[in-house]
Amino acid sequence: MRLGIVRGHVVLNEAVPELAGTRLLLVDPLTAGNLAAANGKGGGTPLVVADHLAPHVGQTIAFVEGREAANPYWPGRAPVDAYCSLLVDAVDFRPPAQDAPLPRGWIKG
Amino acid sequence: MYLARIDGTLTATHKHPTLVGSRLLVARRLEADGSAVGEPVVVLDWLGAGHGSTVVVSTDGDFLRRRLGDTAPARLAVVGLVDAVASGDRR
Repeated sequence: MRLGIVRGHVVLNEAVPELAGTRLLLVDPLTAGNLAAANGKGGGTPLVVADHLAPHVGQTIAFVEGREAANPYWPGRAPVDAYCSLLVDAVDFRPPAQDAPLPRGWIKG
Repeated sequence: MYLARIDGTLTATHKHPTLVGSRLLVARRLEADGSAVGEPVVVLDWLGAGHGSTVVVSTDGDFLRRRLGDTAPARLAVVGLVDAVASGDRR
């Protein structure tokens, strides 16, 4: 799942029947820099996310992409490749000031 | 699967019912030199990965489907806690 900020709702004039009852969000994915800065900016490439949780505009969400985005429709099927899994209450995101090397070890031979 | 570093935790009251009770962490994928790349991702964890720890993340959605149910909208899970990344020369 990636994180993103809801920028709006997408309203359809017509849709395939499999999308009945699905709300569509316009979501701005969060980059690491903007998440750490908590500046209200997303910074990613916007995408449309299917939703049943009704977040408001400005809400941070987590969305799953790919095959698993259609899981909530199971055993039905839906042409959905991004789905809003949760509404974020709070993120405690504290990346290190500097990347550290990987923990090194060896294989006993 | 890939190496990732746990950089945060996340709380969410409103979520898909299959995700209730799951531990949610924010992770960054790591390069071979340990530098973080890409956008932060939310991963599910049953192993107790701590802040700053290096983990192995799997993108196998079937794993979460088996744990959480067929309708679970999630794909990324911590499947291992990393002790060390061994160098190949065994010295």
